Amino acid sequence: MSPGHDGRGSDSRLLQSVAEGDREAFEELYRRYARPVYGLALRRLGDRERAEEAVQETFASVWRSAESFDASRGAGASWLYAIARNSIVDRLRARRDTVAELPDTAAPEGGPDEAAEAGWIAWRVHRALEELPPAEREVLELAYWSGLSQSEVARFLNLPLGTVKTRTRSALGRLGRLLEREDLA
Amino acid sequence: MSGPHFDDLVDPGVTGAERERLRRTHDLLVAVGAPPELPPSLVHPPGQVPEAELRTLPRGLPRRRLAATIVLAAALALAAFAAGYLAGDRGTEPAFPTDFVLAMRGTDAAPDARASLAVGRRDGAGNWPMTITVRGLETLRPGARYELFLTRDGRAAQSCGTFVVAGDKTVVFLNAPFRLKRFAGWIVTREDSERILLRTAEI
Repeated sequence: MSPGHDGRGSDSRLLQSVAEGDREAFEELYRRYARPVYGLALRRLGDRERAEEAVQETFASVWRSAESFDASRGAGASWLYAIARNSIVDRLRARRDTVAELPDTAAPEGGPDEAAEAGWIAWRVHRALEELPPAEREVLELAYWSGLSQSEVARFLNLPLGTVKTRTRSALGRLGRLLEREDLA
Repeated sequence: MSGPHFDDLVDPGVTGAERERLRRTHDLLVAVGAPPELPPSLVHPPGQVPEAELRTLPRGLPRRRLAATIVLAAALALAAFAAGYLAGDRGTEPAFPTDFVLAMRGTDAAPDARASLAVGRRDGAGNWPMTITVRGLETLRPGARYELFLTRDGRAAQSCGTFVVAGDKTVVFLNAPFRLKRFAGWIVTREDSERILLRTAEI
């Protein structure tokens, strides 16, 4: 997983700080990963309340077991994904539904079902979105998920259309570079 | 796949390898869809408490049942986005910790209006402090006011206070001294009018 790009430290460094009881590092990890974890849990559990529980348990586990994270064995994001996956699977089993398989990581071998793989990809894309500067993230989210045209986005933000287009292109480029490091784009 | 057309977002002057990189990113964004907005119970990270306590909502936050009835539905993509956007664009930060933020959309009666409603933690007396940040409502004549209501069954049920607007953006501090779980959303009307100008999503 690519390191953090905003000066607040990579995921691995944050996990190491969390292991030392650094509350701010924990909150930064939460800021980066709460939405991706929630999205993954919603997708797999299909139940909002259970998804909330999965998120809370995920981060409780992160806090409790951060000292078990070993950067030499893998990226922080993969470790976090595994924690989230376990919390989600626990809830699936508790419901006695068929356990939906989630990939351990983006392993090259094996064939997780398409939905599970899509969840892993969405996790990484949503995580990368959190790395964008706020001004770029907002135009991207407006462009893709608000139903507004570029002109409407410009009016909504009270910005020139040219600025919106420039930011959108810049945001796509930056997001693409983040995802390229994960072999996604 | 749905979503915007790539050619509407990226000018034709961008060509070659760069255009293809941007297109791949575009395709990914369309494929994965929007990240969900966090419900009120997840806005703040859990504390360093035992897991059993983590299952209990922190003090002052609405119960999950309340969250289920008031929370902005992530399935409403525009509303879900707007909450996240407007929450980051409040300009004036409220003088209280915010527990959750809801977006308000203009109705046909006020199509250009929009607002964000930041709700703080309930105090010991049972007050829920709020900040409403409003854009696009017209400035009223002297003496006239707008009013924020909690709703039930889509109609105004309890007033949270009145306010006036001026200029492009107005930020107002209000209060809801009610048990929020009894209500389903918020609306804004003109005082003494039933015509809804702004509304939150209601479940």
